[in-house]
Amino acid sequence: MKLRASWALAAVPLAFLLVLMVAPALRLAVEGGQLPWSTPWQDAYLRWRIEWSLAQALVTCVGTLLLGVPVAWVLARFEFAGRSWVLHALMLPFVVPNLVAAMGVLALLGPQGVVQALGGAALDSGPWLLLYGNLFFNLCLVVRACTEAFGQVSASRIAAARTLGATPWRVFWRVEWPAVAPWLLSAMCLVFLYCASGFGLALVLGGQDYATVEVEIYTLVAHELELAQAAALALWMLGLTAGLALGYTALARGLAAPQRSDGVPRRRPQGAMQWAAVAAALWVLALVCAAPLVAIVAKALQAGAAAWGVLWEAGTLRALWNSLRFTLLAVGLATLLGLAHALAARRSTLLRALVFLPLVLSPVAVAFGLLLLYPQWTASLALLVGAYALLAYPFVAQSLAAGLDAMPRHLGQVARSLGASPWRVFWRVTLPLLRPALRRGMAFAAATAVGEFAVTLFLSRPEWATLTTRVYEYLGRPGETNRDAALVLACLLMALALLAFAVIESAKDSNPHA
Amino acid sequence: MLELHNLSKTWQGRALLRDVNLHVARGETVAILGPSGSGKSTLLKMVAGLESLDAGRVCFDGQDITALAPERRHFALMFQDFALFPHLDVQDNVAFGLVEQGLRKAEARVQACAMLERFGLHALAHARVMRLSGGEQQRVALARALITEPRVLLLDEPFSALDAALRLQLRDEFRQRIADVGMATLLVTHDEAEARAMAARGYAVEQGGLRLLW
Repeated sequence: MKLRASWALAAVPLAFLLVLMVAPALRLAVEGGQLPWSTPWQDAYLRWRIEWSLAQALVTCVGTLLLGVPVAWVLARFEFAGRSWVLHALMLPFVVPNLVAAMGVLALLGPQGVVQALGGAALDSGPWLLLYGNLFFNLCLVVRACTEAFGQVSASRIAAARTLGATPWRVFWRVEWPAVAPWLLSAMCLVFLYCASGFGLALVLGGQDYATVEVEIYTLVAHELELAQAAALALWMLGLTAGLALGYTALARGLAAPQRSDGVPRRRPQGAMQWAAVAAALWVLALVCAAPLVAIVAKALQAGAAAWGVLWEAGTLRALWNSLRFTLLAVGLATLLGLAHALAARRSTLLRALVFLPLVLSPVAVAFGLLLLYPQWTASLALLVGAYALLAYPFVAQSLAAGLDAMPRHLGQVARSLGASPWRVFWRVTLPLLRPALRRGMAFAAATAVGEFAVTLFLSRPEWATLTTRVYEYLGRPGETNRDAALVLACLLMALALLAFAVIESAKDSNPHA
Repeated sequence: MLELHNLSKTWQGRALLRDVNLHVARGETVAILGPSGSGKSTLLKMVAGLESLDAGRVCFDGQDITALAPERRHFALMFQDFALFPHLDVQDNVAFGLVEQGLRKAEARVQACAMLERFGLHALAHARVMRLSGGEQQRVALARALITEPRVLLLDEPFSALDAALRLQLRDEFRQRIADVGMATLLVTHDEAEARAMAARGYAVEQGGLRLLW
């Protein structure tokens, strides 16, 4: 595709980004500009919010690093029964909605949680619930990135180092670690971004004392109507996340290396030490990534029939219908935008980098900016679906871009020489081959849309409650019955997430290039 | 007759091809030799219309086709990786070009089956192309290229992905089949022995131009 055609195709997603992301960010700047830029730092309360947001992100990075690297090394180097199943399951937290994760953490560690029922202490204050929730989401990301990176380490370089006298431990630090470090750094960027700009987990698990900036922005807008102060905070966070996003993009670009053909072959663990290492890795994953999800199901099953009756309430059915139709509309729009963006970005690294922006910008800042810029459209379906699509379409674009990269360029050229016009090449060759990538991207987009929470809180009408807002509504009401109802609804959300997960995994299996 | 007049191409500020002139008659096979990066594959893509020209003209039977889209030139191109469509079975791969010419799919499949029979590949008509051996893939790619009866056949290192014994066997088979059809054929390769076995004339790409070898 010629460069000019690329930009023409890119005009649609770029215009969309301009209207729904750049313009609202500028509007935030205008609103926040009414106050001195240093306002959030002069107020001790707001300064604590910023410092805590950054600190919890940093602590999560350290935690995922310490736990994730050894787990990834074990998964990359040892072959054992169930290994590929574990690798598949690592994708699960990517599709679990924030609120479901928060419910899982509460069901496991909170008051009347599984741990308390087993004789342990419940955690209902302090930063630990939020930090655990962050680990749940991000450990899998780091493990996946590092496992892939360890898989790229050259076996011949390791062999050369060993013959030159290096012990396995020295080989790790002098050969494997330098190869993995850039991947790890890029994963750390993402972890920091997700934690610093996260909303759902912090809202439910942070409480009054450990709420993050995103929660504070929501409180200032929704409860205190302090728009200028909220905008100033949002601007700081936007600046921070955009800076980190640029850093991540630069790092990620350098990592697009082809798979090495001389990767280190995996071997069956030998001896008690190696089996203990495998067991420890699996325990870490089970405790951090699987336990909260199991706890939700366990607690929901313990809840009485009355709690399960919530599934048939008119409000729930309406919320389910809203979640499904918003998701359907958003995925449709996201697919068109993602397809245009991916096709246009084939030859432009700038366009390719731009697709990351909606992924790393805080949904709260996006929703608040939209609220300020288009007050007449708030509670309009078009704006709501547009905002959903903004957060979902990068998944489609990224998946398709990877699919296009994997597609041999010769196929299109041969099809042209056999008489197919560019449109016919797209229809008969490109699109059929992209189908698994498209399905995968759409499933991620659907998982994002169905679990969307922040945007819905800002832009929705009361009658447009979705499953996530309904979970939050029940969670905010006092009493065990309401908590149980929230757990049951979280199970329903989790089932939808699992559906998306199944589609993603089946798309992986049906890759025609495989 | 295929005629190239003063074809030139600059790539990343370097003159890749300069004033390339070449004539290939019907039924004739001409080989272009050169090391990797010499521009021989680019030349082939320029002839196919897949790569733009900085200067020069591509003509066929006296008609200037430089501005003609690749799909309207009625040339067929074969790559070293065969470029078979992985989402289609063998029969539909071979029928691809016929469908693009406007034939109904059912009719195209009948013709594809007949073609596969001639190539001894009839039993593989419904096989997935990725399950075929290298030699089988190569034959399918040739059948797909020849079924539309192209005016020119463009071969880009067609045997380099095969082992030595299969390469020799297929080389003779290809030469025979191309001679049967009698079209102008342009072969690009870095293997001089292969070029001499296949082509009546051979040129080397040197400093962007063509030098006659035989």
